[in-house]
Formats: sequence, structure tokens, C-alpha cells
Amino acid sequence: MTLNLCVLTPNRIVWDSEVKEIILSTNSGQIGVLPNHAPIATAVDIGILRIRLNDQWLTMALMGGFARIGNNKITILVNDAEKSSDIDPEEAQQTLEIAEANLTKAEGKRQLIEANLSLRRARTRVEAINMLAQ
Amino acid sequence: MAMAALRREGRRFATPLLSSPVRSSVISHSQEELPNGVRSISTQIVRNRMKSVKNIQKITKAMKMVAASKLRAVQTRTENSRGLWQPFTALLGDAPSVDVKKSVIVTISSDKGLCGGINSTSVKISRILHKLSSGPEKETKYVILGEKAKAQLIRDSKQDISLSITELQKNPLNYTQVSVLADDILKNVEFDALKIVFNNVPKLLLQWTFAPTCYAIMERESEAGGKLGELDSYEIEGAETKGEVLQNLAEFQFSCILFNGVLENACSEQGARMSAMDSSSRNAGDMLDRLTLTYNRTRQASITTELIEIISGASALEG
Repeated sequence: MTLNLCVLTPNRIVWDSEVKEIILSTNSGQIGVLPNHAPIATAVDIGILRIRLNDQWLTMALMGGFARIGNNKITILVNDAEKSSDIDPEEAQQTLEIAEANLTKAEGKRQLIEANLSLRRARTRVEAINMLAQ
Repeated sequence: MAMAALRREGRRFATPLLSSPVRSSVISHSQEELPNGVRSISTQIVRNRMKSVKNIQKITKAMKMVAASKLRAVQTRTENSRGLWQPFTALLGDAPSVDVKKSVIVTISSDKGLCGGINSTSVKISRILHKLSSGPEKETKYVILGEKAKAQLIRDSKQDISLSITELQKNPLNYTQVSVLADDILKNVEFDALKIVFNNVPKLLLQWTFAPTCYAIMERESEAGGKLGELDSYEIEGAETKGEVLQNLAEFQFSCILFNGVLENACSEQGARMSAMDSSSRNAGDMLDRLTLTYNRTRQASITTELIEIISGASALEG
């Protein structure tokens, strides 16, 4: 029994195939989903999605959205998603540093919130690559 | 529109010839274009007309090719964005005809013209929707995206327009821009139900000549009167209450559908422009054929007239 996973962003379909297990990061922690999970609808935080296909783990960085799990079919709708194999380590590191610099420079509530969000996004991307290296 | 200008131009050339004496013209066909009493149209006029028609044909052909390439660029993105809103409809349900106090119609149109009738039809449907959902206690407002719909709706429904946004396509369309737009709409406009009107692209786009005809109307309700529907069968994970999740989900759905709507409209705009320019080029070609015939006839008639004059002059001298 396998799960059918669909990861969609407004720009393209990032993933659409069968997997064995996924670990999803929601705003109340990480949840693992195995086949025959109870139906669940949840919000997805900016974080890592881990996919297991046949004893091999694959990581993806998700930028927030929603997930629906039911009947062995998982649909994840996110603002943006990147497979860790598509992320360039140096570029991600640079983006992280720029985001950190922006956070210290940010003034005003709105800029602070935006800087925080971009920092989290950059951090997620770096983590995705690091996790792959493990 | 361009052809009418040509016709006017032709008449302007013809009127100075009115002063010549009346002579039965050998050319009977050309009389439909000129006032009576003209001796003959000179080949110069016809040649000028042919030149301008040919130039217009070149321009419309070029516009068609530009529209074709733009269409190809937008089409892949549109197809990719289609898959996003279908799970939403499956989950939250679609409620096209719900009775609410305040409804908002989001009309998506193009900024540039020469794209066939798509903008007029969008506006027509928006007006119909407006009439349907207006009543003694109900009010309907417009949110307009695009210059063309704004020009048409501002004439008679000025007080009903709450927000209008133009020049969407200055930068290539992307989701962040549209989500900011959706955010703006949600914050500034009060509503209970929302309808989005845009031009949809028919599913089988195999040939380049097509006419976009379907109009998709998506509706979504706010959290208060929200349809829970199938959501009930799912447990909500996470610390938020069901109401909050529903509202977040609905907002996300709105921005996704808006994004898809804007892309589809851009697609159909380019496609309609292609077919409009194509028929324009073909009309110009037809006109050119007719003008060529007229030109040849004029030329031969003038040669015949000259011959007759020479021969009659010669015979007068002899006799």
C-alpha cells in the first residue's frame, strides 16, 4: 500500500507520484504520515518535507500552505516548493546571509515581519540541503 | 476600424475630381466608390490605396505572430496553474448561486485592445451578474483588473466600482504579485460572496484559430457563512480552530483562483488577438485583390480612352 503524493504550487506541479511515507512540518510540529492515515486537513508551515521512497529519503523545502490527507491520497498546496537537489548550496547560504543582514536592518513592523519570513525561508532551504548531506 | 479609415481616405482623394465634365465612364464598378460625375479614377489613387492596404496587412501579420509567441509563453504557465484550484473546489465545494447581502464581482480584462470581443463579453457577463445579485437590500460592487473593463464599466456604474487595478502585465505575471493583490482585495473590500469573471481557454487548444467562449465563474464564501461540506470528514490538525483554518484556506483558494484567472485571461487575450489579426490580414488580402482588379481595369480603360482619342483625332484630320 503506498501513498499518492501531489505537491502543487501556483506555478507548477512539483511532485506527483507514489511514496511510502512522508514527514510533514505543520505549525504544531512535525507529523509523519503512513499509509491508511486518518483523514486530516492541516496548514503547512515554512519547513521541510521529507519523502521516503523505498528506504531512500528525499527532502523538499516548502514555503507554507495547506495539506489534505485522506484515503491514501495526500495533496499539498504550497506557495512555493523546491526539491533539495534543485537548490544550489552556495546560493542558499548567500541568501541566508542576506536575509540575516536584512533582519538586523529592518525597521518598522512590516519590514520586520517580512524580514523574518524571508529569513525562515532561506533557513529552510539551507536545512534542506544539509539534511540531504546527512 | 482600419478599413473604415481607408475608405474615408479614398473618398478624400476622389472629391477633387468632381470639377471635370460628365462623361460616361467605362468603368462601371468604380462608381460605387465615387460620387457621380467623375470622369475616371486615376491609377494613382488606386495605387495609393493598395499601398496602404498592403502596409496594414503587414502590420496585422506581424501582430499575429507576436501574439502567437506570447501565447506560447503564457500557455505552459496557465496549464501548470490549473491543477491548483481543483482540489479546493473538491474540498470546499462551489456555490455559484448563493443569496448574500454584499457581493463583489471581480472582472478580469486586458489592458490593450485589438483582441477581438473578449473584453466586451466579460463586461456583459459582469453586468448581468450585477443585475442578478442586486436588489432592495443587496448591493454589488466591482473590482476591476485591466484597463478595458474599467473604460467600459466606468461609464455607467461609476459608483459601484470599489477598486480598479491596471497594468497588471507590466512585469511577467507571478504568484507573489497576485497574492498581494488578493490580500488587498480581501482587506479593503467588504463582501459576503465573491465572483470572479474571466475568459477561459477551451480545453483542446490544438489549432491557433479559435474563439474563446467559456466564462468561468468561481465563487467563494467568507468564513461566516462558509460551506464546510467535505471538510467535516477531515480532522483538523494543529492548534487552530476549524474556523480559522477554513478562513485561511478560503483566502489561499481565492488567491490561487485569481492567479489562474489572470493567467487564463492573458492566454485568451493573446489567442483572441491572434485570431482577430489573422482575420484582419485575410480581409486586407481580399481588399487588395479587389483593388488590383480595379487598378487593372482603370489602367486598361485609360489606355483605351487614349487610343480612341488618337484614332478619332487622326480620322478627323483625314476626313
